[in-house]
Amino acid sequence: MAQSMSIAVPGQLLGPANESLPGPGTHIHDSNLYASILGPITKTNPPKPLGPPKRLTKIIPAAPTPLSTVSIERNIAAGHAKDGSKAKAEILPEVNSTVLCRVTRIQPRQASVAILVVGETVLDGEWQGLIRVQDVRATEKDKVKIFESFRPGDIVRAVVISLGDQSNYYLSTASNILGVIMATSEAGNAMYPVSWKEYKDPETGASESRKVAKPF
Amino acid sequence: IQICVNKMNDRRRINGPSGGTSAPVYSKYLSKDTKDLSERPSRTRNSNVLRKMFLKTGVTPSASGSAYLELEASKSPHVIAPGLASLSTSGLKLTCTVHGPRPLPKSAPFSPHIILTTHVKYAPFATRRRRGYLRDASERDLGVHLETALRGVIIGDRWPKSGVEVIITILEGEEDQWWGDDIGRGNMGVGEWGMMSVLSGCITVASAAIADAGIDCVDVVSGGVAAVVRPGAQGKQSTMLVLDPVPSEHQEILAASVVAYLTSRDEITDLWVKGEIGHENHRTPNSSFSYEDLADNAVQAALGAHRVLIGALKETADMKMRRS
Repeated sequence: MAQSMSIAVPGQLLGPANESLPGPGTHIHDSNLYASILGPITKTNPPKPLGPPKRLTKIIPAAPTPLSTVSIERNIAAGHAKDGSKAKAEILPEVNSTVLCRVTRIQPRQASVAILVVGETVLDGEWQGLIRVQDVRATEKDKVKIFESFRPGDIVRAVVISLGDQSNYYLSTASNILGVIMATSEAGNAMYPVSWKEYKDPETGASESRKVAKPF
Repeated sequence: IQICVNKMNDRRRINGPSGGTSAPVYSKYLSKDTKDLSERPSRTRNSNVLRKMFLKTGVTPSASGSAYLELEASKSPHVIAPGLASLSTSGLKLTCTVHGPRPLPKSAPFSPHIILTTHVKYAPFATRRRRGYLRDASERDLGVHLETALRGVIIGDRWPKSGVEVIITILEGEEDQWWGDDIGRGNMGVGEWGMMSVLSGCITVASAAIADAGIDCVDVVSGGVAAVVRPGAQGKQSTMLVLDPVPSEHQEILAASVVAYLTSRDEITDLWVKGEIGHENHRTPNSSFSYEDLADNAVQAALGAHRVLIGALKETADMKMRRS
């Protein structure tokens, strides 16, 4: 679809910093907003603020008008999502972002994973992550056994809690919607979830323990 | 001699003859009549005009970002054999690929900002004297200058614990002198002036590739080169300051400078000056250029490259948007 959005190159002046908020793809220098990457300029309007509540006996000042956010779209060649909303393209796992990863190795006190997808972007390289035993569940953290929560080869949905050290990001599955989303049984068949701690193999009928994510 | 030593150290390949190879020049192209001899190509453009530049991004789809730059070769006034490569002067052809941001190797210490690595290499067929397959000192030097130029532009702290790699391959390099000067005398006392145009091209093409890869930068950096040349025969005092010098077009180059320039911030991230202009007290009225003049003119050349760069980047973005 031909859209006439103006293209910004890195270093292009977008406006003064007090007129709009800096979004992704921009930076501030000398009280001015500049573009950092090559892409179309998008301006998202903030939600309209509610007026002050009506009170007959008090005068309440109105909230300051919120500013719109100016950002530069990244990965424009990646295309738009089906419902028309533009997915925020990530390149790096960031703190509080939801990731999909594959378990590569389990140890008594941690599980090593390879982070494959951040948000809705498949990553370029394989970033290493770590799920420590105290981050597997929100409750009864001391009774967690890694062997009963993850197995090598499982696909896990987790959230990044820290940048970590030189080789690992730190992840957590301590939530109902986080945990194993795809698992293979010891016999080699794909399993389906039964409860928050069990996967069942449809062919052999055997159950295996996992920390299961709530399917939605 | 430098290239010979390189070849002896490279035991992983079957190398060609260490003396270098060159295409044969058949005797019908050599003429005893002086008026038929090739003349040195002369600079036909004004001293402040740059060569036409071709810049295109997205040439390597498998990389995060890539770009290709080509500068036209200079034409000789009397062309004996227009197709014969050994009698013509070379232009400049560079290709650049950018990989990243990629995770650092596990052995690397934690870094809160991005780690930039640059790698510049002449292809073995790029220059008149064949180059080796392993990087030599001049290529490492170019890599260090390129890293200095790019380090000032990339916003590093948006990408913790990651690395970006910029790899430039020089497919056709700028010559240091006219091939006609080289007959019989060997490589005596010729400065490496070709490398300065190559560095200026490397900076521009790396900038285009990095913007193509979507790595945050404060500005678009462009490279420019200017030189002080002595156009007349030996003995004449007058010197000239030219932008975008082609070493084969000039009898003698006294000094040259390369800058990496940020246009919207009016900043220089890398400056390299080579040669002798002479002390202020000893300068004659005919040759009154200072090192500041040289750098200022190199900045003008970088502004010209910047215009081409912006045009190429906007074309890239248009193409990407039309495809989506």
